[in-house]
Amino acid sequence: MDQAARETDSKQVAGLLAEFDGPQALKAAASGVREAGYTRFEAYSPFPVHGIDAAMGRRRTLLPWLVLGGGIAGGLGALLLQWWTNAVDYPYLISGKPWFSLPANIPVVFEAIILLSALAAFGGGLALSGLPELFHPLLSCARFRRATTDGFFLGIDASDPQFDESRTAALLRSLGAGETELYDRPRTEQKVPRPLVMAVVVAACLALLPPLWIARVRATRSASPRLHLVSDMDFQPKYLPQQSSPLFGDGRAMRPPVEGTMAVDQRGDDPHLLRGEVEGQPATTFPVAVTSDRMKRGRSRYDIYCATCHGLAGDGDGITSQLAFEREEPKWVRPLSVHSQVVRDQPVGQLFQTISDGIRTMPGYSSQISVEDRWAVVLYVLALQRGRHATLEDVPTELRRHLDTALQGDARTPDTER
Amino acid sequence: MREHRIPNVDDDRLTLSGTRPAVCAVLAIAGIGMLVAGLVLGWNRGDELKGFLASYLVSFCFFLSISLGALFFVALQHLVHAGWSVTVRRLAEILAANTFCMAILFLPILGPMMAGNSSLYAWSNPAAVDADELLQWKQPYLNVPFFAGRAVVYFLIWGLMARFFLANSTRQDDSGDPGLTRRMEKFSAVALILFSLTVTFAAFDWLMSLEPDWFSTIFGLYYFAGAVVAFFATLILFALALQQVGLVTQTITTEHYHELGKLLLGFIIFWGYMAFSQYMLIWYANIPEESVWYLARQTGPWTFVSLGLLLGHLLFPFFGLLPREVKRRKLLLGAWAVWMLVVHWIDLYWLVMPTFAPEHLPFGLIDVCCILGVGSLFLAGLLWSARSRALVPVKDPRLDESLAFENF
Amino acid sequence: MTAIPVDDNTVQDPTRRAPLVLGDADLASVTQTVCEIAERPRPPTSWYVAFAVSVALTGGLFAAVGYLIVTGIGVLGNNSPVYWGWPIVNFVFWIGIGHAGTLISAILFLFRQRWRTSINRFAEAMTLFAVACAGVFPAVHVGRIWLVYWLAPYPNQMDLWPNFRSPLLWDVVAISTYGTVSALFWYLGMIPDLATLRDRATSRWRQLLYGLFALGWRGSATQWHRFEWAYLLLAALATPLVLSVHSVVSFDFAVAQVPGWHTTIFPPYFVAGAIFSGCAMVVTLAVPARAYFGLKSLITMRHLDNMNKLILGTSLLVGYAYGVEVFMAWYGGNMYEAFAFANRALGPYAWAYWLMVTCNVIVPQLFWIRKCRTTPWIMFLIAVLVNVGMWMERFVIIVSSLGRDFLPSSWGMFKPTAVDVMMLVGSFGLFFTLFLLFCRYLPMVAMAEVKAVLPPDRGPAPAVEVD
Repeated sequence: MDQAARETDSKQVAGLLAEFDGPQALKAAASGVREAGYTRFEAYSPFPVHGIDAAMGRRRTLLPWLVLGGGIAGGLGALLLQWWTNAVDYPYLISGKPWFSLPANIPVVFEAIILLSALAAFGGGLALSGLPELFHPLLSCARFRRATTDGFFLGIDASDPQFDESRTAALLRSLGAGETELYDRPRTEQKVPRPLVMAVVVAACLALLPPLWIARVRATRSASPRLHLVSDMDFQPKYLPQQSSPLFGDGRAMRPPVEGTMAVDQRGDDPHLLRGEVEGQPATTFPVAVTSDRMKRGRSRYDIYCATCHGLAGDGDGITSQLAFEREEPKWVRPLSVHSQVVRDQPVGQLFQTISDGIRTMPGYSSQISVEDRWAVVLYVLALQRGRHATLEDVPTELRRHLDTALQGDARTPDTER
Repeated sequence: MREHRIPNVDDDRLTLSGTRPAVCAVLAIAGIGMLVAGLVLGWNRGDELKGFLASYLVSFCFFLSISLGALFFVALQHLVHAGWSVTVRRLAEILAANTFCMAILFLPILGPMMAGNSSLYAWSNPAAVDADELLQWKQPYLNVPFFAGRAVVYFLIWGLMARFFLANSTRQDDSGDPGLTRRMEKFSAVALILFSLTVTFAAFDWLMSLEPDWFSTIFGLYYFAGAVVAFFATLILFALALQQVGLVTQTITTEHYHELGKLLLGFIIFWGYMAFSQYMLIWYANIPEESVWYLARQTGPWTFVSLGLLLGHLLFPFFGLLPREVKRRKLLLGAWAVWMLVVHWIDLYWLVMPTFAPEHLPFGLIDVCCILGVGSLFLAGLLWSARSRALVPVKDPRLDESLAFENF
Repeated sequence: MTAIPVDDNTVQDPTRRAPLVLGDADLASVTQTVCEIAERPRPPTSWYVAFAVSVALTGGLFAAVGYLIVTGIGVLGNNSPVYWGWPIVNFVFWIGIGHAGTLISAILFLFRQRWRTSINRFAEAMTLFAVACAGVFPAVHVGRIWLVYWLAPYPNQMDLWPNFRSPLLWDVVAISTYGTVSALFWYLGMIPDLATLRDRATSRWRQLLYGLFALGWRGSATQWHRFEWAYLLLAALATPLVLSVHSVVSFDFAVAQVPGWHTTIFPPYFVAGAIFSGCAMVVTLAVPARAYFGLKSLITMRHLDNMNKLILGTSLLVGYAYGVEVFMAWYGGNMYEAFAFANRALGPYAWAYWLMVTCNVIVPQLFWIRKCRTTPWIMFLIAVLVNVGMWMERFVIIVSSLGRDFLPSSWGMFKPTAVDVMMLVGSFGLFFTLFLLFCRYLPMVAMAEVKAVLPPDRGPAPAVEVD
């Protein structure tokens, strides 16, 4: 640190300010100061003075390149986003357009180019100008306040190697300065008013509350139902089954069928076929023909309606059940395996009734699966049971050698029961 | 600081006094020769001149667009009382005055139609009209006498307006009367209204009705956008060529080139906007009666022409003309001007040709003959108008402002 | 305030340029004229009256919106088949108003139209407020407004992404970009003027607040250099943006196949219409504002004259689009398209159509007459009528096309409800509330820019004014 610099530091002098008559005088002075070898000086004016950059020997700003960069980033980013979201990660067809539809992507790409370029122009322009800079020695200089109205000033920073209070002042006067004035570094830090600080602190604390509350709720368990900030359609003005209603004389919201009408698929009165009953007891025989085709039909229905819970092989390990265990759903009960003894002991009529009417948490399927198909599912369930508990004797002799070769190919036991 | 030096108009050579009428005559004869050669080639193809007429239409619309762009520019400068453009305005006036020349060049399109050759416009064929309900519906508009009548009206309007601006401006060279400027400014608003209507319907008549089933409301603006691009490119080249032979070297400065470059860039973007609006809406709605037009341009070799236009007419010149330095260097700016004229010609070719040759690119000797033929005649007309007058409005009241013009 | 003689600067003499600022304004008086509006302790009583009315109407808007959110969108007049009723009409109307600000600020800036300097600031403010009003409508008419964030592409547990091929999503992106960029542009241009207010502030609070937003601006050559570049670049970006925004709004309609909506001229036609309505709104606001706030020497008759010429020009462009549309409806030979236009002119909404044509194409032709361009009350009246006409235009496009599409069995009429009306009226309240606050607290005229165009003997640069 040289002598001059230490001196200025001790005096807390920040620089020298000189006022000029107008833009032309300012431009000439800037040029003169530069020629005298100064580098750390600034010209201040209430509006941009053209040609002063050249007079001060300043280079053109880099801002256009920043903006170009912002634009390219915006354009490529938007294109990538649209390609990834609509063509790769979540492709779905809209009005026959290709997943990756360039013409339809252009508006968003265009807007993103403009947005990021504009942010770059704004942010870059401020950053390159050293803004925001709320405290600056000049701002506490009373005379300087006219710089934003009608004052034209030249300020030379005390850190300039050429700076010397008297010589610099003389130079400025020789360049036509009206008055010169030393301006100081403020002795004390500028303080933000206390109420403002308090207000910001309080607001920041309050702003923390919602995220903290959400975090707490997410981390704990509660028995009470969730809070309905917005009810969406959770509660609707409608009657649920078995509710009462003052609208009807009998007080029931559900209405019995009109006299003489019959529900769809309620054909005749064959308890064996429709309810799986023979003389009030679950039937032990099929009311329909037992054929291989029917069993295959049953398999297709089973795979659609039953397998999601009971599993494709009937072990009670369907995808829904697996997921429920993964998520530790508290109310989930594992579906029974159709191979368990209690199910194997059931007569076919009871299986039919279970499918039709449901049991425990399992809903009834009579509205979704037709009567014949329900019997077909029962048939398929029997086939599954039979297959699981089959012995070698059950396989026809001529097919056993296929079994042998299959077993040799796969060393594991055919028994997949866990 | 680099001070801006204000040029002096008195130091400059401003007239093409050395040009003799013979030069124009030679150019005109060469042009006619080329066209005759093209006609013979077309005749030998035995397609009822279809190939020749289509190719001629492309070249005709190409050179016409330059004059129309010029007419627009002149009227606009007067409308907004522009000062910067005075030094280049005379060149634009001369270019605009060539609409007279283009009126004569329209005869090869009109003539065969009147004589019963309907190979260019399907709707002019009575047999085709009888077979097509849509053509019958459009017949009150699309019929040969009305078509010819409209063309006469268009050319009358353009020719008289161009004449008005050129004559008044030239008269001011002698008198220096600011009242003439005032008069042109007053008329310019009406001129632009007439201009926009005539150019729109001319584009509908001559280009859109090539496929009479197809329609697009933006089509007039599309042709207009291309025309202005072609005009600015031509104006830049015109000024560069004159400076090359030692004329107007002082009066037209780098600042003017810079400004013209900016306007060229601006209208390239405008063209892109029009092209995208038309394409996007038709592509998205995908209604067969409209999308069929683009389908032809998106199949076979035309796909590459379409993509080429997207790149060559929009993206490349956009980035190419973006830097300040490019617009201030004559060589680079001139190169881009040539490029823009080439892609503008391709643009018109792409508008016309897929109708006649949907499966292949028919580019050949006939096209070359037509470009050179119409081009020579256009140049002859240009030199003829230019030779007898100053190339800068020397007594325009705003000339000093234009000379002192500086980009910020 | 200095008494400034108002002379006529509307005559165009080719031999000299008319002054942009009248009277003997100098650097200090420009600052004084503009700042004292924001600095005086009490605005005129008329300001309070206007503010009270505006706030009351804004309250109406919020009440209507609150009722709508709580009850559901059934409270609007939207029905089948007119699914898009007034909310979209109002949305497009306000977005259109918002376009003039950017036109005046950015496009006229690029074209070096220096007369813009006196009016650009409040035209920009008007843009922002109009965009704010516009934003209300699509946001609330989605129904479940608390789920509006679904429009944003964010990774979520549903594993879904928004559909970027939908014009409605383009709309969201375009409008939010436009709002952001307009705000940045407005704010950036205001920083030097906020610094002026900071430096003139007498109370600690004003100094602090203006100082905070002035970001420490000192007007150094370095800052001006960066500032001018940033401003120029933002203008260059805002120009294509302003074209794109209303084009995207037009895509909402034009990519569909509804007769009367699907036509290729829609993008430029909408842009022209937007600028048209925006300029009319600028005149509507400027005429009373310059009279009440003593700005006649800065916002001169020449400014209004030029604005009126812009209105006339854009009116002709809009008329051109109407004409070409009608011609093509016939020329295209598509019966639905032809019917849509016949229905507009002769059907049940013919009154709306002819009101639109009258206000947008016929009335502005009065601006051919110089007296109409330079008489405040006449231009005010015309500008208001243009605003009416432009609202009707959106009404005609949306309602008449939806109400009468392909199948006569699904035709219907639209009837606004009280909530519809309250929201429209209330949006004007919001707009004027914001505008009045702006007039009260912020510099209404871009002082630094006006100073740069003052005649050379009163201060600055050799002002070769190009107009």
